[in-house]
Amino acid sequence: MQPNAAESFQPKLKEPKNLSPRIKWLRDYYFEGSERLWNNDYTAWTTGTPWDILFDEMTFYIVPELYTFMQTFRSSIYQAARPVKLDKDFWSWSLPERKAWFLKEVMVNYVPQEILPGDLIAGARFNVQTSMCWTEEEAKKRDGLIYGKKGARTKMKWFHDHGYGNSGATSGHVIPGYEKALKIGWKGMHAGLKARYNLLSAKEQEGPRGDQLRAMLTVSTMPGDLAEKYANLSTKLAAEETDFERKTELVHMAGNLKKVPWEPAKNFWEAVQSLWLTHMLVMSDENYPGPGVSFGRIDQYLLPYWEYSLSNGMDREFGKEILKCFWVHANTVYDAMINVGNNGITSGYGQLITLSGIGKDGKDMTNDLTYAILEVIDELSPILEPKPNVRLHRNSPEDLLDKVVDSISSSQGSPFLLNFDERSMAGMMREAKRAGCTDLINEDNVYDYAPVGCLENTMAGNDRSGTVDNNLNLLKAVELTLTGGRDMVEFIDPITGKKDKIRQDGPETGDAGKLKTWGEFWRVYEEHTRYIVKRCADTYEASESIRAEFCPTPYLSCLVKGCAEKAVDITRGGAELSFTTLEGVTFATTVDSLLAIKYLVYDRKECTMEEIIEALEDNWEGHDVLQAKAKFRAPKYGRDDDEADELARKVMDLWSDEAWKYRTKSTDRQFRPGMLSWNYWVGDGYIMAASADGRPKGQFLSNAICPSNGADINGPTANINSVGKALGGRAKDGNGDWGDYLNSLPNGASHTITLNPVLLRDLDHREKFKAFLKGYAENSGTSLQINMVSADMLKDAQTYPEDYRTLLIRITGYNAYFTGIGRELQDEIIAREVHSNY
Amino acid sequence: MESRCIGCRTCVEVCPEKAISFTEEGIKIERKLCTNCGICSEECPSTAMELLGTIWDLDNLVKEIEKDSIYFKKSSGGITASGGEPVVQADFVAAFFKRLKEMGIHTALDTCGFYTQKALDKILPYSDLVLYDLKEIDPVKHNNFTGNSNELILNNLIHIYDYMKKHDNPRDLWIRTPVIPGVTETEENISGIGTFIATHLKNGVAKWELCSFNNLCSDKYLRLGLDWAFKDSLLLTKDRMEELTDIAMNSGIDPDIVSWSGPVKFEKDDSDVESSKSKPRITKICSVAI
Repeated sequence: MQPNAAESFQPKLKEPKNLSPRIKWLRDYYFEGSERLWNNDYTAWTTGTPWDILFDEMTFYIVPELYTFMQTFRSSIYQAARPVKLDKDFWSWSLPERKAWFLKEVMVNYVPQEILPGDLIAGARFNVQTSMCWTEEEAKKRDGLIYGKKGARTKMKWFHDHGYGNSGATSGHVIPGYEKALKIGWKGMHAGLKARYNLLSAKEQEGPRGDQLRAMLTVSTMPGDLAEKYANLSTKLAAEETDFERKTELVHMAGNLKKVPWEPAKNFWEAVQSLWLTHMLVMSDENYPGPGVSFGRIDQYLLPYWEYSLSNGMDREFGKEILKCFWVHANTVYDAMINVGNNGITSGYGQLITLSGIGKDGKDMTNDLTYAILEVIDELSPILEPKPNVRLHRNSPEDLLDKVVDSISSSQGSPFLLNFDERSMAGMMREAKRAGCTDLINEDNVYDYAPVGCLENTMAGNDRSGTVDNNLNLLKAVELTLTGGRDMVEFIDPITGKKDKIRQDGPETGDAGKLKTWGEFWRVYEEHTRYIVKRCADTYEASESIRAEFCPTPYLSCLVKGCAEKAVDITRGGAELSFTTLEGVTFATTVDSLLAIKYLVYDRKECTMEEIIEALEDNWEGHDVLQAKAKFRAPKYGRDDDEADELARKVMDLWSDEAWKYRTKSTDRQFRPGMLSWNYWVGDGYIMAASADGRPKGQFLSNAICPSNGADINGPTANINSVGKALGGRAKDGNGDWGDYLNSLPNGASHTITLNPVLLRDLDHREKFKAFLKGYAENSGTSLQINMVSADMLKDAQTYPEDYRTLLIRITGYNAYFTGIGRELQDEIIAREVHSNY
Repeated sequence: MESRCIGCRTCVEVCPEKAISFTEEGIKIERKLCTNCGICSEECPSTAMELLGTIWDLDNLVKEIEKDSIYFKKSSGGITASGGEPVVQADFVAAFFKRLKEMGIHTALDTCGFYTQKALDKILPYSDLVLYDLKEIDPVKHNNFTGNSNELILNNLIHIYDYMKKHDNPRDLWIRTPVIPGVTETEENISGIGTFIATHLKNGVAKWELCSFNNLCSDKYLRLGLDWAFKDSLLLTKDRMEELTDIAMNSGIDPDIVSWSGPVKFEKDDSDVESSKSKPRITKICSVAI
C-alpha cells in the first residue's frame, strides 16, 4: 500500500547528527556564545598616535542601519586599542608598507594563539581592528574628504535619505586565489613577488610600484610566521597532553603547521590547514569579518588532496572530521561583536563555498568530496558558515538532486543557495563581451565561475567585482518622472527632525500630466533612469577614490591575480578583472508601477495622471478605489503574462545598459549590473514615497528579481518563468550569450520563493520538486533560495491574509493558495503540522 | 472575497438586477436574481468580485500550457482534464488532447462516466490515462444518491476496457471510489466493486484508489449560498479506511492495485487551532542575503 496522502507531516527543526565527541564539544562550545571563556571578539591595535584611526566607515556605507553609529565606532574602537611598538623606520615607509608590516606584527607578535580542545585545525583571533597607519597629514587629508558638506559621508547619506539607495567601496566579496596558495605555498608566492620586484628598474623600485611590491613581500611571510607560532604551541600542548591519541594529533598538527601554508600542501589535512590560515588572514587584512570572502569551488581544488589522502589510508570519516573543525572555525566570524550579545549568530556573513557545477566540455563535476561536504553540512546543521551554494545545471546527477532536496526538506529550506549554471554562465559571457575581456572570460574557462557572498557570480582568484558596492532603487526614476525630477516627499531626519527642502535634483522634465502618450512617458522615465545610474556612479566615486588612496590591503592583493603583475593594490583596481556591481533594487515594484500607470492612465483611462500623482502624494489615503485598481486590476510582473514580462524586460535592458556606461575614474573599474537586494527592500520601503503599483510608503518594496509580494498569483512556475524572461530568456535563433541562454545580469539575480514544507513530505512530492528545479535550470534565473514556512506563519496568514496571498500549500492532490481556501481547511492544514499523528 | 473587498459598493451600484446588497457581514448576492452577466466583476476595483472560470479558445489554452511544458516533461507529469465533467465538452477536450499529444505532453481524462459512448470515443484516442469514478456498485443505491442508475457508467467502463485492448491509447485505467460515510462506505459496496473489476476488467486496471471523504468543498457551498447534504458528515478514521482497503484487496483482484488517500479524522480535539489574532505577529518572512 502506498503512503497515504493524509499521513501526518510535521517539519521538525533540524538537529545535528552523527557528531563525534570532539565535534559535538566544539559545536556546543561555539553555541555557548557570549558565555564562552574563549572567543574571537575584535581586538584593536593602534600605532599609538593621537590622530590614529582604525575603523573604516566607508566599508559600512552600504549598511544604513549603522549610519548613526559611525562616530561611536570610530572613537570606541580607538579607545579600546592597544599600542603596538613600531619599527624605528616605520614612519619613513610608504603607506602600503606600513600597513603590511603593522598587520603582520599584530597577527604574529601581538594577537595570542590558542588551540581549542580536540581541534584539528589551528588559526583564530582573526577578528581585528588595526591602525590605518596614517601619518598625521594623511589622516587629516582623509578626514577632510570624508566629512564636511562635500565629503563622502554627506554624499552617501544624501543618496540614501532621498530614496536613491546606497553606495560605498566595501570590503570582502571576492574569491581569493586559494587554489594557487595551496599549490605553491606562500613560499612560492613570495618567490614570485621577489622576482617581479627585481624586474623593476631602480626608479620604479623607488616609486609606488616598488612600494606596493615591498609591502606584499613583507606581508607574504605572515602566514608562515604565524603558522610557526601555532606549530610551537601544538608542540607545547603535545608535551603537556596525557591522552595518547590527542598527543599524537597535536604532534601531527605541529608537523602540518611547520610546513603549511608556507610550503605547498600535499595531503588533505595540510590543505585544509593551509586554506584556513590563508583565508582567515584576509579577514584580518581588511578588518572585515567574513562578508563575501568566499572560497570558490572548494570541492574541485581540494579534491586532489582528498583523493591523495584517501588513497594513502585516511579514513573518510576522519577527512570529514577535519572539515567539521574547519566549519567551526569559519563560524567564529560571528564573535566579532560578541560582547554585545549573541545576535551575530542569527545572521549570515557569507563565507560562501561553491559545490558541484559544470566543468570542461559541459561535464558534471560532482565528486566524492562534494558528497562528503554535503554530509558535513547535513551533520552539523543548523550551522551558518561557510554558506554553501550548490551549482545545478541540466545534467546534474540525480543523486546530487536527491541529496539537495533531502537537505532542504529537513532544514526549513536552508542550508542551501542554489545557483544555475547555464543562465549564470550566459551572464559571465555577456560581461566578457561588454567589458572587452574575452581573453579572461571565455568558453574555455567560464565554467570555473563561482558565486561570492550569496549568489554574486565572479571568476575566482583574479576578480574583484564589488558585488555589494552599489544598491540603486530603480523605482526612484518612476518617482522623478511623475514629479519632473524632484522628491515627491520631503525628507525629515528621524533623529534631528531637520527637513531637507525639496529641490530640483534630477533633470527638469516638467509636468507629467502633459505627457500625452505612454511612449512620451517612457522616454522621460528613460531620462530619469539615466540620471539615477549616473548619480549612483558619482556617489560611488567618492568612497572608491578615498579607499584607493588611503586603504591598501596588501595581503589580499597577494591572493588576487593582477595585483602583483601590475604592482597595484587591489583597492586601486589591481585585480585582472576589476568591476564594481550596480545592484538594481526594487525591480518588480518599478515594473509594476510602470504597468499600473500604463494601464490606468493610458490604456484604460481609469484616471488622469494628475489623479495618480495626487493619490501618491496623499500616500493613497482617501483614494481606496484607485489604489485597489492599481493593486488588483493593473497587470503585474511575475504571472507569466507575456505583455507584462515584456515591459519587465524593457526596464531590465534600460538600466542594465546604463550601468555598462560607467567606469570609476580613480581606479578604472567597470560598472556591471546585478540584482541583489540584501534587506534594503524592507528598510527603504519606509523612505520611498508611495508607488503607482498601489504600495503605500512604509510597505516593503520588491526583493531583488522576485515579483512583488502578492503579485505572483499564478503559481510558482509562472513566477519562475517570468524571472527567466526578465533576464532575457532564450535566444530564438539559438545565439545566446551561452548556448541559447541570454542573461543581462552577469552578477546574477537573487530569487527567493516560499513553499510549504508539506510539498516535500514524501518521495513522490520530492520527485516533483526535483522536476521543478530541473525546469528552473531551463526557464528561469541564476539563483534560487527556498523558504519553507511554519505553522506559526500559517496562523499569522489567517490573521493577516493580505500579506500572504502567494503562500502556496499542498492540500490533497493539489496545491492551493492558503488565503484562498476556506477557514476549516486552513485550520486543518495548520493542525496537520501541529499534530504528529492523526 | 472578504480579504480583498474594500467596501466601495461599486458592485451594488452597477448590478442591473439589483441582486447585490451590502450588509454588516459584507457583500451578499441574491443568487436567484443573479444572471451571471459579470458586470460586477468587470467593475470591481479590487477583483474581490470574480466570475469563477475562464473562457478559453483552443489556441490560447495550448499556448498557456506550452509555457509550462518543461515542467511536465521533467516531472513525467502532464495535463488532466477534470471537472465538472470534461466529456460534456467532448469535442473541445478531444481537440485539446490531440494538440497536447502532438507536443509530447501526457494526457489524463478524469471522468464520472455518465454520458454517451459516442462522446467518449472522441477523446479516448488522445488520452494516455483514464481516471474513472466508480462510486457505488448497487444500481438502486446509486440512483438514490445521484439520481441515476449506474448502468451507463458500468457499460462505459467496460467499453473503455475493450477499447484499450484494441487500441494504443489509453494506456492506463485507474478506478477511483469516493468513500462517503453512510453512503458508499459499506463493505458490500467495496467488495462489490472489487468483484466487478475482477470479473469484467481483468488485468485492465492499474490502480484502484479509495478516496476518503473530505469536507473541503463546504466553504465553496457556503460562498455560493448553497446547502450541502454532507456538511455535518465527519471524516472517516484511518482505521476504517484501512479496513475497507483490506476488503478491497481481498475482493478477488490483484491486491497491489489498491491504495487509499485523503484526509482522515484527528484523534485529538481542536483546541490547538484557535485564532492567532491576539498573538504577536511574525515580522520576518523572507530570508536575507548578503
